[in-house]
Amino acid sequence: MAGRGRGRRPFGTDPSISRGEGLPPGLQQPTPVFPVMEQKPLPLAGGEEAEYLLALKQDFRGVMKNLPFFIKPAAAQRDVQRYSDKYHSSEQTNSLTDWNLDWRRFPRELQVHIRRRVREGLAFSTMDSSVPVQKKKKKEEEEVLLKLETLEKKEEHEQSSEEEEGGVKKKPEEEEGAEAEEEYDEEELEEETDYIMSYFDNGEEFGGDSDDNMDEAIY
Amino acid sequence: MTAQEVRLCGLLLQEHFGEVVEKVGRNLLKSGTQNLRAIVHETGLSVDLVKKSLCVLMQHGACSFIQGRKGPGSPTEYKAHCDRMLRILRYPRYIYTAKTLYGDTGELIIEELLQRGHMTMSNTVKTVADRLTQSMDEGSSMDYGEVSSTFSKLVETHFLQRCPPAVGAGTTGSSQTANSTSAAPASSTAPTPESFPDCYRVPQVTLIGRSKRPLASEEGEDQRNAKKAKMDPETHGDEGIYWQVNFERFHQHFRDQTIISAVANKLDQTSSEIVRTMLRMSEVTTSSTAPCTKPLSANEIFRSLPSTYNIPRHILDQYLTLLVDDPVGPPHLKYHSDFYLNQALANLARATLESIVQERFGSRSARIFRLLLRKRHLEQKQVEDFAMIPAKEAKDMLYTLLSQNLVQLQEIPKTPDFAPSRTFYLYTVNQLPTARLLLQNCYKTVANLMERRLFEAKESKRLLEKSQRIEAILASLQASGAEPEQLTEVEEMITAPEKQQLDSLRLHVNKLDSAENQVDETIFLLESYISSSTKPTS
Repeated sequence: MAGRGRGRRPFGTDPSISRGEGLPPGLQQPTPVFPVMEQKPLPLAGGEEAEYLLALKQDFRGVMKNLPFFIKPAAAQRDVQRYSDKYHSSEQTNSLTDWNLDWRRFPRELQVHIRRRVREGLAFSTMDSSVPVQKKKKKEEEEVLLKLETLEKKEEHEQSSEEEEGGVKKKPEEEEGAEAEEEYDEEELEEETDYIMSYFDNGEEFGGDSDDNMDEAIY
Repeated sequence: MTAQEVRLCGLLLQEHFGEVVEKVGRNLLKSGTQNLRAIVHETGLSVDLVKKSLCVLMQHGACSFIQGRKGPGSPTEYKAHCDRMLRILRYPRYIYTAKTLYGDTGELIIEELLQRGHMTMSNTVKTVADRLTQSMDEGSSMDYGEVSSTFSKLVETHFLQRCPPAVGAGTTGSSQTANSTSAAPASSTAPTPESFPDCYRVPQVTLIGRSKRPLASEEGEDQRNAKKAKMDPETHGDEGIYWQVNFERFHQHFRDQTIISAVANKLDQTSSEIVRTMLRMSEVTTSSTAPCTKPLSANEIFRSLPSTYNIPRHILDQYLTLLVDDPVGPPHLKYHSDFYLNQALANLARATLESIVQERFGSRSARIFRLLLRKRHLEQKQVEDFAMIPAKEAKDMLYTLLSQNLVQLQEIPKTPDFAPSRTFYLYTVNQLPTARLLLQNCYKTVANLMERRLFEAKESKRLLEKSQRIEAILASLQASGAEPEQLTEVEEMITAPEKQQLDSLRLHVNKLDSAENQVDETIFLLESYISSSTKPTS
């Protein structure tokens, strides 16, 4: 606050301008991006400790990228819808299911309900990470089998049960498919396809290299 | 939260947790406490992604939640902790310290806990034992007991602490001791981990056996075993007890190390050993925020000195007297000696400020700066005389320092109208505000270094991917036993200029990384000084 209010210094008493000199000429261009430094900085500390710390840091970063805590944003939308999209989009959701949270320490509202692949109007099943998966499956299987039995009895009488049966039969099929999924794991997931995921690579990423710094001629 | 801190936190979150978590974290830092809907609305992300990011942040302690702040029906609110996010910079230093103190086992324990945020003891022990077994020779495996004992040692010396039990997370009847339950639905201050009496108690864990080496030959069986392990978790008697790294204890350790090395540089090795003994004796008895250690009598010090230093009693007394007279954080000698930690930190911070000025502005400006630090207020004429620098240059340097805000001008009027010819203009340096300013500069520096590193990596992304692919091909070829001609053929897929480019890229990235580590040391010193001098002294 020097020079404001009561202590207003007249313009001429600015210490950096001696009497008789005009104002310094204004800047005509932006300041240089890398100005020359009068004092060169000291070199970085080397030595074993610094190198070990560096290695630790880079390792840590690399490991964090592969943990389930690293959340990748949704893949950028392509220009056209592609058939292989529905096989690719499942890869993302796997990451968070690997991580078993203790929900006692987290607020309830943060639980994510995972939608299973829905077939023809079936309600989605909520899957809390704390509930073991097998038990839930068994319960659902039993329910489905019971349902099947009761439906078989009614089959001759009702014609609309055809729809229901179709829906219910697809459910055990989905269960089996889902269980078979678990056993095969890895790449043969989702939608019971017989092809590994690299089958759906449509070759768009190949050869997209730019031509900078190529010394050899291109034919 | 200053703008520089927010920027740095954003970059750290992006590197370690991805862009989604970075967006959510930044939003929380800038807007303070918010509920879920507001975050979703402001960041524009999907609800699921925001929920996942909040879980990730809470797992690592960077965010906490408060329920029912405005009454019983109000939504849960989330708050981010900026200083916790800034600790990520210091992780390598924590891991390295654990290695020097407790060997490879300690190093891996701390590394696992830092990667996962918080974990139960049994989980940690198992994971660390598996990792150690992988790096050991064929046929031998790591015993769980050994890892558990290292874990207990870490807890005893307070490097690890229990996470405070969850407050109002929606469960009833949890049998945790020291639980703050229905009596206070809206707790105004978050309980610190140390306010719970069981903070450092190691639970009874039944974990006997050795870690299993994963069998590479029987893959199917291994996968099924792995599935089984996921399906029914074995309980080891310590469910619900989570452990986290106690950063304050590590900071105390770093502070002690710095003081000891400063004394060693200034005096000699023996005096630094004496100081080390004094600090070690008061390690667990003094809290990390106390201004000085508990008073220790000279007898106690004498008895606790390591046996390699056979110095007789009277020489010890001489050393203590020397330390008292020395202006570097001296013990205060009466009948007892105690160590003024705050003063030691202030001295270290002052040395840091002086060296910063010296490296940026030259040794003569540094001379002026040091002069002003010691003499407090000086007029321009006095500065020129004391520093023995010609008037014109002294004026120039003073104005440079003034324009950088390292030096302040104090006006003392002789007459009420502040006429310039009748006013004293005194130059002065205030240590605390200058330290704060330089700390913000350090944050900006680290953020700049990180951005430059990301930029360099992005520029050469194509090259890096190509080299990674070639390395993968080479590794698989070598594993399947290929001929050397094939290997050379694959290696030649990278041309010579590309190899040069890769090398220089690696060199730059390493330099930037190690510069970040070094700036973090300065950040630690300045942060400790500022927090020690702004604490209310009881």
